[in-house]
Amino acid sequence: MKVGRIIKVSGPLVVAEGMDEANVYDVVKVSDNKLIGEIIEMRGDKASIQVYEETTGIGPGEPVYTTGEPLSVELGPGLVTTMFDGIQRPLDAIRAIAGDFLTRGVEMPGLDREKKWHFTPTVKVGDQVEPGDVIGTVQETTVVLHKIMVPPGVRGKVKSIEEGEFTVVDTVCVVEGDKDYNLQMMQKWPVRRGRPYARKLNPDEPLITGQRVIDTFFPAAKGGTAAVPGPFGSGKTVVQHQLAKWADAEIIVYVGCGERGNEMTDVLMEFPEIKDPRTGESLMNRTILIANTSNMPVAAREASIYTGITIAEYFRDMGYSVAIMADSTSRWAEALREMSGRLEEMPGDEGYPAYLASRAAEFYERAGKVVCLGNDERVGALTVIGAVSPPGGDISEPVSQATLRIVKVFWGLDSSLAYRRHFPAINWLNSYSLYQNKVDEWMDKNIDPDFSKNRIKAMTLLQEESSLQEIVRLVGRDSLSEGDQLKLEAAKTIREDFLQQNAFHEEDTYTSLNKQNLMLKMVLAFYDEGKRALDNGVYLNEILDLPVREKIARAKFIGEDKVSEIENIIDELKNNIDELISKGGILDA
Amino acid sequence: MYKVAVVGDKDSILGFKALGIDVYPVIEKDEARRVVDTLARNKYGIIFITEQTASLIPDTIERYNNQMIPAVILIPSNQGTLNIGMDMINKNVEKAVGTNIL
Repeated sequence: MKVGRIIKVSGPLVVAEGMDEANVYDVVKVSDNKLIGEIIEMRGDKASIQVYEETTGIGPGEPVYTTGEPLSVELGPGLVTTMFDGIQRPLDAIRAIAGDFLTRGVEMPGLDREKKWHFTPTVKVGDQVEPGDVIGTVQETTVVLHKIMVPPGVRGKVKSIEEGEFTVVDTVCVVEGDKDYNLQMMQKWPVRRGRPYARKLNPDEPLITGQRVIDTFFPAAKGGTAAVPGPFGSGKTVVQHQLAKWADAEIIVYVGCGERGNEMTDVLMEFPEIKDPRTGESLMNRTILIANTSNMPVAAREASIYTGITIAEYFRDMGYSVAIMADSTSRWAEALREMSGRLEEMPGDEGYPAYLASRAAEFYERAGKVVCLGNDERVGALTVIGAVSPPGGDISEPVSQATLRIVKVFWGLDSSLAYRRHFPAINWLNSYSLYQNKVDEWMDKNIDPDFSKNRIKAMTLLQEESSLQEIVRLVGRDSLSEGDQLKLEAAKTIREDFLQQNAFHEEDTYTSLNKQNLMLKMVLAFYDEGKRALDNGVYLNEILDLPVREKIARAKFIGEDKVSEIENIIDELKNNIDELISKGGILDA
Repeated sequence: MYKVAVVGDKDSILGFKALGIDVYPVIEKDEARRVVDTLARNKYGIIFITEQTASLIPDTIERYNNQMIPAVILIPSNQGTLNIGMDMINKNVEKAVGTNIL
């Protein structure tokens, strides 16, 4: 390949001439330091290259080597539990040779070439295989069974296949098609292209996260898209961490994109210690981390999102339910803006490039519930959850707007709720989920036939509360009728005893759907029973002074193995109200 | 048609019977409360109640203060007045016209 020559350097953007053999989106090595870069624009023989590493000390005249390959990730055993940087360099391995901070020009394959994995074939010699067919499995961690698939473009008869210990680059299978293909456990895939699938399905099953406000009121579907916009300090990162911890996906890809380093540290410290409620194994055994913290090179931030989603798609192709969390897509958009500015492109709103919306759409559209390639019609789902950090919490800015146009679930975090210590600070009045209908069906079928009815009732109470609050602000609480005052109290119970959830409390951090259903019933029972008592002439104060309310408030701390205690609380509430009515009410009314 | 009732200790209210008003003698708190609530539900438009009895059940009086029907009106008993009734009228006047003109 021809060697190009640098003619201009501007931060992470390098312009080189003599690049006429290269193509756009090819990976290049810049200067003799071999900095990794990617061509993002070609004009004649001049290529604009975004360099994924620090460019200090690089000047015009230095060489640029083309690799002729697009930016790709290596997919195979060894991904899970590893932490990568934005261009899939394993950070642990880099640390071993380069120390605590990234140094320039470190080259490191994405997957460990030395480590041996036990490969168990699932096809026999002579079988006909197509792209996506599983030819064997590797037990990657205790919970992840890694399926080795025929890469796209390869079809034919299995000529030989072996069981045993192999590294990711050893040939494990030979497929005889129009030529002999030597299949390894590892395959490569360019990050900017979505991996192929057979067909897309409509997402209809909820992604259960154990977060009450999310599962009950604003559910995300497996294979859906969701956005968490919120101002600084409103708890975006905690919400993302909670989802990464408790979502019932089989693989979690967490992309820390331009946020603080200590947030990734939290993940690294906490995840290995937390046990997955479904498998009883450490959460780290299903997690892949991609870190491009705020002090790491900007251009790699742009790539980190694509690296993450390509890895996620690969696991989806195995028929797993995968969830990818990107925290935060605003930093990614800012990286786009920085590159766009240096490319001297015409800026759009707030300086973001005009193609911001299409890039965001391209990313979120890679989510979905799909029938994977391959003869066994596996169904995999890829859920994308992106945090957005609008400056000042004003979601009328371009990144939030571009995101909201595409995603179907909106969890709007509210700084005033966060200020009142209401966490998770998801505003129930302006958040929405467009999967609600589908998920309602599922909940009614699998959890409780009354689930969606109860949810609607609780949401109605919360909405009525906000209009009553306006009256209270004008003329005071005492001017409301007792019925309305009870409504306010009931809504307060829903807010404090149901919606609020402590991410750092052992029992409260995760709530199963069964417990959510009972808790929802309990807080609604308070309203229904209170109303019954009022109708029978009992005084509001007497209802509010019932000691059982304390128990309602503490129900969230009841362990998952003792959820039937919530039913006892409901019974106790009913008995107490019956007593009140017989004591002070008018029975013959 | 709305009806008129009077609630209080027997000695104070018995005389109202001569005027054709329904008389409901009560002695203690819970009883008073239940009687007033029941009357309110049973289409009584005006409920007279002695101040002594009313002072036992302030919550109940407060409850009907904000409702148009029934009108709960405090009257002195045979022991004399406690001035609660007058205070309430003063308060209502103040609310209505903005200053105490009585």
